[in-house]
Parts: sequence; structure tokens; C-alpha cells
Amino acid sequence: MAYRIAVDIGGTFTDFCVFDDTTKQLTTLKVLSQPTKPGSEISNGLTELSKTFDFSPEDVTWFSHGTTVGVNTVIQRTGAVLSLLVTEGFEDVLELARLKVPDPYNIFSQRPAPLVRRDRVYGIGERTLKDGTILKSIDDQSVKNAVLRAKKDGADTIVVALLHSYANPENEKRVRDIVMSEAPDIEITLSSDVWPVIREYERTVTATVAGYIQRRVANYLTAFQTALKTANVPALPLIGKSNGGVMSAELGKRDPISMLLSGTAAGVIGASNVASGVNCSHVLSFDVGGTSADVAVILDGAPAYSSGEMVGEFPIYVPTVSVTSIGEGGGSIAWIDDFGVLKVGPESAGSNPGPACFCLGGTSPTITDAFAVSGFLVSENLGYGSVSVDIKKAQQAISVISQRLGKGNSEVAESIINIAVSGMFLETSKLLSRRGVDPRHFSLVAFGGAGPMLACHLTRDLGLAEVIVPLTPGVLSAYGGLIANVKNDFIRTVFVNVDADGLSVIIEVAETLEHEALNWLHKEQGFDGETQLSWSADIRYQGQSYEIETTLTRASIFSADASNILSAFHREHHKVYGHSDEMAEVQIVNLRLVVTGLVPKPRIPKIKERKAEAEPEKYTKVFVDGALQNTAVFNRTKLRPGHHFLGPAVVIQDDTTTVVLPGFKGHIDGSQNIILTPCEAKNDN
Amino acid sequence: MTIDKVTLEILKNHTRAAAESMAYTLYRTAHSTFVKETEDFTTGLTTADGETFATPTELGATWFVGLNYGRAIKMIDDYRPGDICITNDPYSGFVCTHPPDMHIWKPIFYQSEVVAFSVGHIHNTDVGGAVPASLSRSLSEVHQEGIRIPPTKILSEEGMNQKILDIFLKNVRAPEQNWGDLKAQIAACNTGERKVQEMIKRFGIETFRKGIPELLNYAENQARAIVRNLPNGKYEFWDYIDEDAVNGWPCRIKLTLVIEDETLILDFTGSDPQLESSMNIPTGGDPRHVLVLVGVVYVLYSLDPKLYLNSGITRICKCILPSGTMVNPEFPAAVGMRTLSCNRLHGLTFGAFAQAAPERLMGAPASGGPIMNVNTTDIKTGRRIMAAINPMTGGSGGCADGDGNDGSGANQGFLKNTPTEVNEVEAGILVHRYGLMKNSAGPGKHRGGLGTEMVFEALAPNTKITARNRDRTRFAGWGIVGGKAGAASAFVRNPGKTNQINLGNTDIVTVDPGDIIYVSCGGAGGWGLPTERDPKAVLHDFKCGWITKQHAKEIYGVVISEGSVDKKATTACREIKKSESSHNPSNGFYNVSVSQQDFEKVWTKQNYDILTEGLAKLPISWRFFAKHQIFSAIAKMPDNDPDKLDGTAVQTEFNILLKRFPDLRNRIEA
Repeated sequence: MAYRIAVDIGGTFTDFCVFDDTTKQLTTLKVLSQPTKPGSEISNGLTELSKTFDFSPEDVTWFSHGTTVGVNTVIQRTGAVLSLLVTEGFEDVLELARLKVPDPYNIFSQRPAPLVRRDRVYGIGERTLKDGTILKSIDDQSVKNAVLRAKKDGADTIVVALLHSYANPENEKRVRDIVMSEAPDIEITLSSDVWPVIREYERTVTATVAGYIQRRVANYLTAFQTALKTANVPALPLIGKSNGGVMSAELGKRDPISMLLSGTAAGVIGASNVASGVNCSHVLSFDVGGTSADVAVILDGAPAYSSGEMVGEFPIYVPTVSVTSIGEGGGSIAWIDDFGVLKVGPESAGSNPGPACFCLGGTSPTITDAFAVSGFLVSENLGYGSVSVDIKKAQQAISVISQRLGKGNSEVAESIINIAVSGMFLETSKLLSRRGVDPRHFSLVAFGGAGPMLACHLTRDLGLAEVIVPLTPGVLSAYGGLIANVKNDFIRTVFVNVDADGLSVIIEVAETLEHEALNWLHKEQGFDGETQLSWSADIRYQGQSYEIETTLTRASIFSADASNILSAFHREHHKVYGHSDEMAEVQIVNLRLVVTGLVPKPRIPKIKERKAEAEPEKYTKVFVDGALQNTAVFNRTKLRPGHHFLGPAVVIQDDTTTVVLPGFKGHIDGSQNIILTPCEAKNDN
Repeated sequence: MTIDKVTLEILKNHTRAAAESMAYTLYRTAHSTFVKETEDFTTGLTTADGETFATPTELGATWFVGLNYGRAIKMIDDYRPGDICITNDPYSGFVCTHPPDMHIWKPIFYQSEVVAFSVGHIHNTDVGGAVPASLSRSLSEVHQEGIRIPPTKILSEEGMNQKILDIFLKNVRAPEQNWGDLKAQIAACNTGERKVQEMIKRFGIETFRKGIPELLNYAENQARAIVRNLPNGKYEFWDYIDEDAVNGWPCRIKLTLVIEDETLILDFTGSDPQLESSMNIPTGGDPRHVLVLVGVVYVLYSLDPKLYLNSGITRICKCILPSGTMVNPEFPAAVGMRTLSCNRLHGLTFGAFAQAAPERLMGAPASGGPIMNVNTTDIKTGRRIMAAINPMTGGSGGCADGDGNDGSGANQGFLKNTPTEVNEVEAGILVHRYGLMKNSAGPGKHRGGLGTEMVFEALAPNTKITARNRDRTRFAGWGIVGGKAGAASAFVRNPGKTNQINLGNTDIVTVDPGDIIYVSCGGAGGWGLPTERDPKAVLHDFKCGWITKQHAKEIYGVVISEGSVDKKATTACREIKKSESSHNPSNGFYNVSVSQQDFEKVWTKQNYDILTEGLAKLPISWRFFAKHQIFSAIAKMPDNDPDKLDGTAVQTEFNILLKRFPDLRNRIEA
């Protein structure tokens, strides 16, 4: 017997995904999260699991886990008391950030207050030059003075971020030595350790966030390790990372910054896996919860990565699965502005008090209520029985709006849905234009509590090819953790021209990176399976202020010929921007290496499709496209590969409702996904 | 019949999606680094008449919300599917406002009828002319500012208008960039066209036809509602640009804002005559020209950020822009550096609104800091380097809710800086300091945002530093309702050394290795009396290194000793300050900088009004000259001459001029 378990801890629910290696069965479970007792949801879930089927913790061979504890620490501002040591003359680095304010059209717009108060930022006498040469060694006394004041401030952690420390960390290390001898109780975070990359604000803010969350995350991870130990789970405790991979919990204590956005990343990894299973090369993942819709572009099975993703009010610059968060979810509230125009969001009832129809105390009309009033929410229970649905409460909430508009409830409900979808259309259009891709080739992988409810609507507006609703849409983030690889990112700023001189620097740095990466995977992480090294570099034409990450082969880096790197960059630039310039000087700003320990994936066997019309559970009346329509209701557990049906239809399952609009046809594929495709050209006027 | 309010909201999201997609297409495919660095471009959709109904808010310049393309559109006779038109002539239709801005528009057809245009502009890095980048304060005629294309079809059924394109590209310094950027503009217009076609298909032509005017009405109604909440009245305000030309005299921009129920009149009578430098603002006298309404859009949006940004907003405004003044110059006045005067215009607008609603607006936004470039030699490779370094910015003004944002904000909140580490790698300089300038915030109960300062060292001989838009060295940003003015900006070579040179508003300087450059942007104005500022906030500013102990005591009356507020001494100190200020008659609504107070001792409002009234009677070509004659004559008069202050002397000087130049007198009398 062998089990793999992945757990995703959210604000309300903790999701479990369990794969039985013997029976090849996937099981899911939701238990309530216990924010005040970290680790206890894991013990609770394990107990639940052993109740439901024959399972003993000793048989668990894989245990990965995603948590929002780091993000919450930043959002709620409950992290460490920090002091920041910077190069003298640059103490305002966090205050100035990159200058741009959040809303440039608003003259009152303010940048958020940094995580370190400005009076706790101390200038250090020292200077490193751009090439790493030390112009001025550390003025020890200035560090001692700063430490003395940091102690007085009650600092838990001192963050050190000195100019050009990415090129030479010597001065930062010297500061660490002094701090350790002067104040052994204070933790230290060096910017050159966290993410050694050029651009002082980006490096400093990332180090600051790392220092801010480090202690809380470490305590939490210890609780997680203890919970597994107590439960006699022998598997190495793994935690999810923002890059979509996993690492050991022990390493996470040292590197908390890389796990901040693991939840959304794991969802995208889950969606990529689902899409690869059905051979889709152009995919939009669409994860809709109570307050937001997270959308990501996945091309050829690979999600896009970016840095500078927001954690609360701050950007962090470590590689993160790129996700666009739209401020609209199942709990977004409908309202009427002063001019009688119906609006949806950005205010949300979230999961607490939640939509009116969930009977958790919410009274505001939400998107979910609109679906309830339309007649789409036919199950009486959701979320594995933890939420009961009361249509009357939804009617009441919506009627406040209908009365003001002088229209019927059903009509208003449909308007709310359409407006919400048009908002999602706007944001998703932007994302697609930014990437320069054509929506008509894309499949939408819909998940999260409300994703499958809105998927057909968005697909219709954007003109996408199809919708894929995976078997376990409510726990796809946990599923992403189940199939994740062990993965880490390495970076060095080189800032050289791609020529013979530059190449020698690049090769030298590449050797160091390769050594670090393999050491991390094999020694620190203890991984001994199949290893993959992926090289890339941030490259630009000289004079540009932005770089393009360009995938490189190991051979192109280690050969004595720069032309392979150059042609790879010209090609990439052409792909992204539609033009390239073979005559221009090319610079490599950063060299990157991703090390991946490939974990054998659970194999869920495909089931042979047996073509048959799906048998509805019952029929219900739904108000859709301006009319009350007879709508088939299907139970997900009874749909088998090869079953097909026509919209309008509703598919109910434990944790979500799939809405199938008129004009869509559905079928169940061999992996038990629901595939919804628009019928041929219709309602074109 | 109007369309229902539900469809309107959906249409709104779809039109915005189109505009945003255009912006991303342009940004993604543009060639010049300048476009990507500064985002100085726009995209949008207009009605068949040229009213903008959709604007992106995520990317692009914030200054052209609601630009009306109508006049340029009308200059082309016949539109056919596939046509694309361009212009960069500030004197053809007043859509383009300086030659580097290449504007583009493409008709969008439904069957045989034009139902919309996709439009936009890019600021080209260079369009030829007297100086690289085509911009300099010293230029006086638009002919020096680059090649100008009047409204022209660049693409049509017959394909590319290759002749025009070739002529254009022959006359610019980096033709491949202009061509690359133009292609990006064309791609953006095509994206807009496609999106509109999709929208028409999705919603039907009738809904589209009825919905678009409703989107304009919606913004207009929102704007009306915001203005309705402001008190009716006439609010007069003026501010200065330090110099009307290189080493010139101060230049006044005057605004009388009339709020009448739901509408606004902006009367610029009393502003300086058109300048013999390039800071003129070309509007063609259009009473709703967006370039003079940028401040209004900022204010209305900031009062209610739900305001939908499109041309509808401008419908409630009427501007009076007298011909031959700097806000409505006649051909061929140079206009390249209108950015500098527009910056002042924004602050001026904020100030006039502040009189109407002091609790809802702010002190002067910081300005006068330059956009900076370094042109030097790499000491290792010997290669020539040309690099943009930081824009120097300052904060937003203090307001009823609290202090202004430090370092940037208000009408400059869209700018980004360049990291010091990148400046050192790219621009071949060594930066000694980059941060907030001590004591720069305009003091107040809620102080203005601090300005930024940078100190750097040149490492190679013959290093040229350009600092575009330098101003506010003399007249700093004002405070309101008791708040004080912020610090002035500065540009100094080798500060504190024996070879120190104050560069004032100079915009180019050549330095050598070891030379140190100090540059700063002024601070923003304060709100409310400094003596009412919470002593804890004063202490915090001190601990952050943003004010000195002396400043805390002298300005705020807060005595700091041993790291905390000495309460007793503070109370005593504030008592004295209060009794002093009650005797100070200059504590009016606006508190201007000391140097402005000194200037206005001679150039009182009355004196300046008489000057501008007199100048307005002269032929346009004589005005700037006459102003300079009068200013230098007045400057030579002794201060105790009673005629100097009440307009008598100004009048006398006019008469002297008429006597000296009979031709002039004859022309006036004729």
C-alpha cells in the first residue's frame, strides 16, 4: 500500500487530495481550516481519511502542503519587527520604491507604508562598485551603532541590503558577522542570500518581505513537521513554492520568500496537468473563489513565470507562476451607482459572511446569489455538506436591486452575471493582448468553487475554443501539489555584452550556479532521482530598460561561441515583440538556472469512452438568455467517459456547480473531465 | 430611446477592453526604448465625430483623456476601409500638441458608414529639427522642432503612402525607430478596429450606435454630479514659470475658474503673451482642449475615482484662451517644451479648485525636477554612452486627510525612476546619494510630500548632462489654508566646493571626471498651519531624517531634545509663533515662497494685470518684446518710486514704447 497526499490550506477550507498508488484512485476531502491552531487541520484530515477508507499513515510516501501563512503575515502586517541596514545615502530606498503611485490618475494616491519604518533604516558607511570592487570597506562603527539602535527598537530581525551586493556580497557578509557578535539574538536576512539580482529596490523589498515573514513561517513549518511526526507519517514534509514546485519544509524555514504564492501556483500546475492530459497546447486556467478570479496563460504545458508579483501591497521578485488576479469572485456584491447603473464588485462578501443564499449571515446580493435566483444552483448542499443553499435568501437579496431597477428578479440576476462576466472579459482580454495571443485557440480550465459556474459565460464572450472542468475542480490546487516536482531557482546578475569577453564571465558564473543548484537538489533536499537543469537568461538590446527571459541550452552557454545565445535572443525578441535587430549590441543582465528533481507522477489510467447520451437526474427551470428554459441536471458522480449532453444543463458535484449554457455541448472524456464546446456558429446576427 | 443601464455597463467593459488591448499591442510591438520606458503614448476609440469614448488606464500617458480628434478627422475628405491617417503638426487641427507626438487614426466601418475611429499617439524619440530629440527650451519657431506632417493618409487602398513616409524618415535622426513605432501604432489601430467589429457583432449595430453616446453621457453626468458638490463661485489664481525664455523674466499663467452649478469656465485671460521659447501650449483656442483640461480631469477623478474617463467629462468645461497668449499661441510659435508649462497649469488648476474646496484638495504638487539624460564615454571600453537616468520628482501636496505622498505623486505619479545600480552600470556615473530632500516639504498641519535629490559624480571627460523641464528654482510650490510653500528645486555643479556653480534652470551642462552634480525637485505645498501639526508627526519626520531639529523648532514650534518632544518648551514656542502669525497680514489662502513674495512686492497682481491687458492690445509679434522692455525698465527703477507698484510706471513704459516705435502705434490705431 502506498498513498500520496497533498494538502492546500485556505482561509476557510483545507483541501486534501489523496492518490492511492495501488488502486490508482484519486480521493478528495475538505475539512475546516484552523487558523489559530496551525497543523491541527492536518491531523484532523488524516483522522477523517482513515475513517473513510482503509488507510494508515505509515503508508504515506508523499506529503506536500501549501499554505497562506506567509501571505497572511504580510497582508495582516503581523510579521517581525525589522531594522534595515542600507548603504549610507540611500536610506529612502523603500520609501521611494520605483516612484510610480498605485493610481496615477488620482492626485491623492499614496504608496503603501513600507514594512520597515523609515526611522528604523540605518545608513552604513561602505560602498561596492558595479563590478563588485569594494570602494569602501564596512565602517564597523556605523554597523555597531545601527545594531545598538535596532536593539532599542526591539528588532527581531535585521535586513541588510547594500548597493551592488549581487555583484559581491562581501560587505553584506561583513555586516552579518558584526551583527552576530553584537546581537546574537537578532535574526539576519541578507539581500544577496534572498535573491542576488541587480536593482536595489527590488532586491531590498524582497529581502524585507523575507525577513518579515521568516519567523512566523518557520514556526508554522515546525508545527507542520510535528503534526506529521505525531501522525506517524514517514514521508518527507514538503511545501509548495511560488514556482509551482515543492521543497522540504526544513529548507522552507530558510527560504520562506519562495513559498509565498504557492497556492495560486499549484492551481496553475494542476490546470497544466489537466490540459496536458487532453493534449491542449493553449490553455487559460480560471480559478474562481469567493473574492477573486485568478487567470493564467499556459502555453505548451508550461505556465508563464514572472517576478514582481504582488504579495499584499508589495511586489516580490522571485520567480513565480504568473497569475492575473481579477477582483471578482462568487462573493462579489452587486450594487447600483448614483446614475442608476448596475455594477458588480469590487466589494465582496467573500466566504464570510458569504453569499446570502449560503445562510452564513450574508445579506448582500452576490454573483452566487444571481446564479441561485436564475435557477442554476440546484444542490441543497455545497462544499461537502458544509454549506446549505437557500434560494429564498438569494431572492430577497436580489430583490433590493430589482425593485430599484423596476425589473424582475430573474432578469436582474442574469444582468448581474453578464456584468460580472464583462468585467472578467475586460481583464482577461488585457492579459491575452499583453501576451499577444489569439483567444480562439484557447481552452479554459475552470476550477475553484465558482470557476465552473462562470466558465461558459466567459468562453462565449472571449470566443474561446472550449471549457475543461477537471474531475476535482474544488481541490485543484491540492492536486497541483500532488503532481509537483522538487524545484528551485538560481540567479546571478552578470551584466555583460554577449561577446568573447562577456562569454568568459558567463561561463564562470554558470559553473557556480550549476554547482549551487546540484548541491541544493542532491545534498540539501536529498533528492536522488532524475534531474533536469533549465538554463535561461534575462537579455536585452543595449539601451533597453527591460529584459526578455530567453531559454538557453547548456551547450550554448558553455561553448566558446556567442552566436547561439544571440540567435536565441533575436528569435525570442521577435516572438514577443514582433521584431528583432541582428545588428544591435546584446547584453545579458541575469543568468538563471532552474533545477528540477523530476518526481514520478501518479498515473491515473484513462477510461475507455463509451458513447452514450447522459441520463439527467432531473429537469429544472433556469432563466437564461432572457427566457425560462427547461434544463437538465446531471450528477457528476454518475457521468461516465463517453457520456454527452446539450446545454442548457447543470452538473452538480460536492464542491461546485458546472453551468452549461444553451449553445454548448458537453461530453466526458477518458480522464473524466467535462469538456464543453460551443456548438457551431450560432446567434450571429 | 436610450439603451438600458445594464447593457451600458457591459458595453463599457467591452470598449475599455478594446482600448486596453490596443495599448498592450502598441506597447508590446513598439521599437523605441523611449516608449517602453516612459509610456508616453495613448490609444483609444472615438466616435465618428472624434469624441474619445474609451481610454486605457493601465498603460500610457495620463494627459490625454478625452482628446477630441474631430478637427484632424475633418481635414481628410473621404474615408475608405483600410485607411490610416497620421499627423504630428501642432498647427493642423490642434490634435497633436508638439511635433514629437505622432497621432494616428483609422476609420472603423459598419457596412459603408464610419461608426468609430481607433486612435492614438506615440512620442517619437526624435523627429528631426535643430536639436537631438527635437526638444529644447531655446527654440522659438516650430520649424526648428522637426519635420511636420499635416493630416495625411499614410495607408489606403493603394497601400502605403511611401513618398510621405520616405520624406519623413529622411528628416529624422533615428528613422528605424520612428518606422518601428509607426508600425506598432498601425497594429494598435488594427486591434481597435477588430475589437469594435467584434463588439458590433456581439451586441448589434443598434446597441453600439445608441450605447456609445450613452457612455459619453454617463461620464458627463458623473462629472456634473462631482461639480454640483462644489460651491459656486469665481476663483482667481495665478502662478509663474521661473523664466519665459533662457535667462528670461518670470512668466505668469493666470486662471479664473468659475463654478456654476454643474459647469466650469476656465478663463486664462491675464496669462503671458506667447513666448519666444518653446513652452507655448497649442490649443487653437478650442474651449474644450484637453491639454488645458488635464488638471480638471485630475481633480474630478480624484474627488471621485469612480469617474469614467472619456470625452464626456470635457463637455462641462468651457475655456477662454485668448489668442496670442502662451495658452493659445499663433503659428509659428515653438511648442516643444509645453510639458513644462502644462505641469504648471495642472498645479494652477488644483490651486483654483482648492479655493472652492480647501477641505477636499491639496497644496501645490511638486514640480521643476527634470527628466535627465547622461551622454558620456565608458571609461573601460571607450564607447559612447547615452542613457536616461532618474526623472527628478517630488511629492503631492498636503491635504485635509494627511500629508502628501513623498517623492512622487499628484500629476507626476505615473513616472518611474531608474535604479541607482542600473544608473551606475548604464550611465557611467557614480551615485553618492539618492533620496528624499531634507526640509523640502511645504510645512503644514499636513505637510506636502518631500522632493527627491540626487548627487552623482561624473567619471569621464566631456560628460553631457541634460535636464529637461528644469523650473521652480525661484518660485516654489505654494501651500494652502495656512500651509507653507515647499522648497525650491536646485541644480548645482560641485556643491560646497570652491568651484561651485549654481546652474539654476539650465537644462544642459558639460562636466568632467570628479565633478559632482547635485539635482533636486522642489517639495510640495503644505495644508493647514504648521503650528497645528501633531508634535509626534514632527518628531517622526525628524527621526526619519526628513527635517532638522532647527526646522522643527523654527517652522513647527516643536522643541526636540534627546530624541523626544519637550512638551513644555513646545507649548511655549507655539504660543509665541501663534501671536507672531496673527500680526502677519500675508497669511492669506495661499502661502507662496519668499522669492515669489519678493517678486510680487513689485509685480503686484494689479501691475501684472495692467501689463497683460496692455500687451493684449499689441500685435502678437510685438508682445514678448514689449514685455521684456517693460520688465527691464521696471527693474531699473528705485524701489521707493511710488509709480513702480500701482501700474503707473507700466503704463508709462507702454507709452514710451509707442513713441519709440511709430509703426507700432500706427498699427494699434489702425
